[in-house]
Amino acid sequence: VWDKSESGDWHCTASWKTHSGSVWRVTWAHPEFGQVLASCSFDRTAAVWEEIVGESNDKLRGQSHWVKRTTLVDSRTSVTDVKFAPKHMGLMLATCSADGIVRIYEAPDVMNLSQWSLQHEISCKLSCSCISWNPSSSRAHSPMIAVGSDDSSPNAMAKVQIFEYNENTRKYAKAETLMTVTDPVHDIAFAPNLGRSFHILAIATKDVRIFTLKPVRKELTSSGGPTKFELHIVAQFDNHNSQVWRVSWNITGTVLASSGDDGCVRLWKANYMDNWKCTGILKGNGSPVNGSSQQGNSNPSLGSNIPSLQNSLNGSSAGRKHS
Amino acid sequence: MSGTKPDILWAPHQVDRFVVCDSELSLYHVESTVNSELKAGSLRLSEDSAATLLSINSDTPYMKCVAWYLNYDPECLLAVGQANGRVVLTSLGQDHNSKFKDLIGKEFVPKHARQCNTLAWNPLDSNWLAAGLDKHRADFSVLIWDICSKYTPDIVPMEKVRLSAGETETTLLVTKPLYELGQNDACLSLCWLPRDQKLLLAGMHRNLAIFDLRNTSQKMFVNTKAVQGVTVDPYFHDRVASFYEGQVAIWDLRKFEKPVLTLTEQPKPLTKVAWCPTRTGLLATLTRDSNIIRLYDMQHTPTPIGDETEPTIIERSVQPCDNYIASFAWHPTSQNRMIVVTSNRTMSDFTVFERISLAWSPITSLMWACGRHLYECTEEENDNSLEKDIATKMRLRALSRYGLDTEQVWRNHVLAGNEDPQLKSLWYTLHFMKQYTEDMDQKSPGNKGSLVYAGIKSIVKSSLGMVESSRHNWSGLDKQSDIQNLNEERILALQLCGWIKKGTDVDVGPFLNSLVQEGEWERAAAVALFNLDIRRAIQILNEGASSEKGDLNLNVVAMALSGYTDEKNSLWREMCSTLRLQLNNPYLCVMFAFLTSEAGSYDGVLYENKVAVRDRVAFACKFLSDTQLNRYIEKLTNEMKEAGNLEGILLTGLTKDGVDLMESYVDRTGDVQTASYCMLQGSPLDVLKDERVQYWIENYRNLLDAWRFWHKRAEFDIHRSKLDPSSKPLAQVFVSCNFCGKSISYSCSAVPHQGRGFSQYGVSGSPTKSKVTSCPGCRKPLPRCALCLINMGTPVSSCPGGTKSDEKVDLSKDKKLAQFNNWFTWCHNCRHGGHAGHMLSWFRDHAECPVSACTCKCMQLDTTGNLVPAETVQP
Repeated sequence: VWDKSESGDWHCTASWKTHSGSVWRVTWAHPEFGQVLASCSFDRTAAVWEEIVGESNDKLRGQSHWVKRTTLVDSRTSVTDVKFAPKHMGLMLATCSADGIVRIYEAPDVMNLSQWSLQHEISCKLSCSCISWNPSSSRAHSPMIAVGSDDSSPNAMAKVQIFEYNENTRKYAKAETLMTVTDPVHDIAFAPNLGRSFHILAIATKDVRIFTLKPVRKELTSSGGPTKFELHIVAQFDNHNSQVWRVSWNITGTVLASSGDDGCVRLWKANYMDNWKCTGILKGNGSPVNGSSQQGNSNPSLGSNIPSLQNSLNGSSAGRKHS
Repeated sequence: MSGTKPDILWAPHQVDRFVVCDSELSLYHVESTVNSELKAGSLRLSEDSAATLLSINSDTPYMKCVAWYLNYDPECLLAVGQANGRVVLTSLGQDHNSKFKDLIGKEFVPKHARQCNTLAWNPLDSNWLAAGLDKHRADFSVLIWDICSKYTPDIVPMEKVRLSAGETETTLLVTKPLYELGQNDACLSLCWLPRDQKLLLAGMHRNLAIFDLRNTSQKMFVNTKAVQGVTVDPYFHDRVASFYEGQVAIWDLRKFEKPVLTLTEQPKPLTKVAWCPTRTGLLATLTRDSNIIRLYDMQHTPTPIGDETEPTIIERSVQPCDNYIASFAWHPTSQNRMIVVTSNRTMSDFTVFERISLAWSPITSLMWACGRHLYECTEEENDNSLEKDIATKMRLRALSRYGLDTEQVWRNHVLAGNEDPQLKSLWYTLHFMKQYTEDMDQKSPGNKGSLVYAGIKSIVKSSLGMVESSRHNWSGLDKQSDIQNLNEERILALQLCGWIKKGTDVDVGPFLNSLVQEGEWERAAAVALFNLDIRRAIQILNEGASSEKGDLNLNVVAMALSGYTDEKNSLWREMCSTLRLQLNNPYLCVMFAFLTSEAGSYDGVLYENKVAVRDRVAFACKFLSDTQLNRYIEKLTNEMKEAGNLEGILLTGLTKDGVDLMESYVDRTGDVQTASYCMLQGSPLDVLKDERVQYWIENYRNLLDAWRFWHKRAEFDIHRSKLDPSSKPLAQVFVSCNFCGKSISYSCSAVPHQGRGFSQYGVSGSPTKSKVTSCPGCRKPLPRCALCLINMGTPVSSCPGGTKSDEKVDLSKDKKLAQFNNWFTWCHNCRHGGHAGHMLSWFRDHAECPVSACTCKCMQLDTTGNLVPAETVQP
């Protein structure tokens, strides 16, 4: 865990070894719930962590103290992703595992993070690799979760499924399957909704893809059934020329960053005509790729470069942001 | 590498050197070419590195295998295994005069000549060299030599003397190995086990064997075909990889009976397998005739106790070059770096990238982990604001108090950066709407005020009486045109468009003057023309041409205008209607369109999309009949809604239609900030209650929170509750008396239990000044401040103690802060508290509660409490 000091420097304030396998992902809960992290690992567990302050003089040494609040052991296989639900849903956590099951947990008492009850189990039939909550807090949109699979078996099945919560049955039901995505999916991310009437979903597979999902107005659909969506693929880029590992949206959902096997980080942005294009390329070590300066003026500059002591193999180090 | 296929090795210590060996040994030096040009004679390895040939050694023919001496000194000592089974020490480079000179040229000769398959230096005892040889019926196949041994046999075979003809060569021949192992067997691969200096793992014919040099009679072995290329994982000393044909087997030495894992079989036989020295569990494999290096990322540390789960392996492949790869070598220290050599000796240096995981921070900086580094990348300060992302724009606008100017509403577009014509139009529209609503309210309260905010579309619809058109004279021309008589609604519409000012005066003069002042001559001329004042139009154009920034061509346009003739078939008319399309400025274009149009059909003006909506609408109000006007406005509204063009707010107003329009604007840009402020500006309640509007406001508040603009968010909430009283939250905190349990603000505020906010607890303005320190309900004293020990309710006095007093001055500088000093504060954990000002200064230096014997670390309990709002940090 890295803290940013007031002068803008990052300091590693905590690092600990806990899982007995590779840690796949680490994710922050909304700060409303305190300083809470969740991690998931190959060791078939997911864990929830909370920072404790004031107990010892750790602060003086510039270290903070994190305690494990709970271990979620329901999965029989590697837990591949863990994500907190948007805060308006309360303190909820979704995990997905290699056996193809998405589990949704809820902490009914936000003051007691050691109590998590398993609320839902959704079977996806395919080994799951990544999940993403729809961050929309609009009442017009019911809770929704997208699941990607990295199943590499040759049968061309759709690798992205979207599940939606149904108020009547109180269950998650499949709302949509992206039939066009048949290659293993490594990461998936809904864009922050920011008041849009549609959702944007980025998918990292053998290329970067961006979909929009526009809910068909409720008045038109029969009430109670799953929401119908108009599905459009708005962009597809194979510039990485290899597998794409991660995608991430900025706070407004207007710039997408992707990283791929070519060791580059690319930025994608839509213009006013809704045409997406590349606005920046950076090599993994921060140096600009030759010729990318012509690509756009917003070629980002490198701010800082922190050698880290811990071996962040899967990129599971976590920077702290305060919001 | 048997003659044709080159092999490649990195120097173990001098990390910028490597050796390529086929029939000779060539030493190369790697240089970065990032900052320099490629030197003559060097070979390009990758985009940013090149290799220079340092030396070639062709002393040792019939090379079968090479191993680099592991010690620091001598640097360039290599052991070469030859086809006849001899092992020769040779050197590359200049250190012939070193103390190790006598090592160079030393030969280690087996009893019977046969091919040497493999060599391995002992990593702990650097003088030990193990050689693996082919099978010989009467000899051992694994020989371990001590390179420092001075022992030479008594009888030197004559032919060997001849072979190494020369000075004192006899002393350089060593024929007595330290150990001999594996009789009547073949050795295909060897590696020392890092666990112990004397353990040697050998891939023998049809089995893998571990020899223990402490007891050479014993060996541990397992029968397998996978005996080639045995290699130990440098990060996990019990893990060994070996291969056979196309299959790689991973062994755990603690459970040596069978492989813990076999990797998916490749169709072609493997030629090399190597663990990455800089990264755990990464194994690179190469097959024959392929240009791909396959990488296996073993994420799970295997445990000796049977774990039924399969270790996860992530398989990847990299293609460093187009040709078939002959061999590769991991760089010993550079992370995940590898050099490959192809069969025609082209080389390529590259790095295998890890998965880069990345995350955005709310302030548009991107962070990612690559290798063992974290990188943070921020947006470049860029003046070209069009390129800026909306997230950055909104953040900067929030800092410049965008949207908060409710008096001079139009100024908001200046606060937004004065760059977006749509925003400009929007805020002017809202400004006029506000102005005329107030105007109307003054004239006839409660009448049409709401209509103004409903936009021109509703205004025009509401107009009841038919409008007569009448002919008006052109000023300065002998011509008449049909102009609609302006009724009240149309005047209002024109006022909203900004053409005419407040009052009943239907004069565009002031508007023209302001346009001219802003340098918008073309627009001013067009507006003048639409008001049938061609002289004024020409005059404006001349003015524009003669001004500093003006375009001289305006004179030409003015000339063209003055040549206007009413004649239907004149040359002027013909030329103008064709040439006008080539004019770049839309206003000049519509001027000629207007002049050349037939009476009553103004499509050239109305549907010129580049002309601002307000001018087109104003024009329509002037020249179109009621039905035409309604149809036109309807059409334009739909167009604007479709495009999410904010200029359309003029037509829709802040109605449901306006929300639709704003929705498509938000869909297009994500600018919830403008949407929130605009909708708060004057929408009727039912529009404000629209789910979408509420949702935008909610999103904008979340954004401000995420940026740590807590003060801005509070400001926004105050702004919101002013414009939309229903959103005002009820008081959430009450201070109740310890004795009677009633809120102490009970008597202070007129409405009990709905106190008007915390500031009211401050006592400075309390009417019962004498009793400020007691509960207004029961007259019992209020609790004491833990620091000054005076009952709460008293204003904060200057603290005793010299150091504190200047802090106090600091605090009291700001009037608001000084008031805040009087507030009640308390810790939710230990319930101790006092004057806010005192508490603040206490916790500036202390971590623990000021009450003695209380060890509560009040201030640290709230992690976000220590954060500084981002606005104060920002310049």
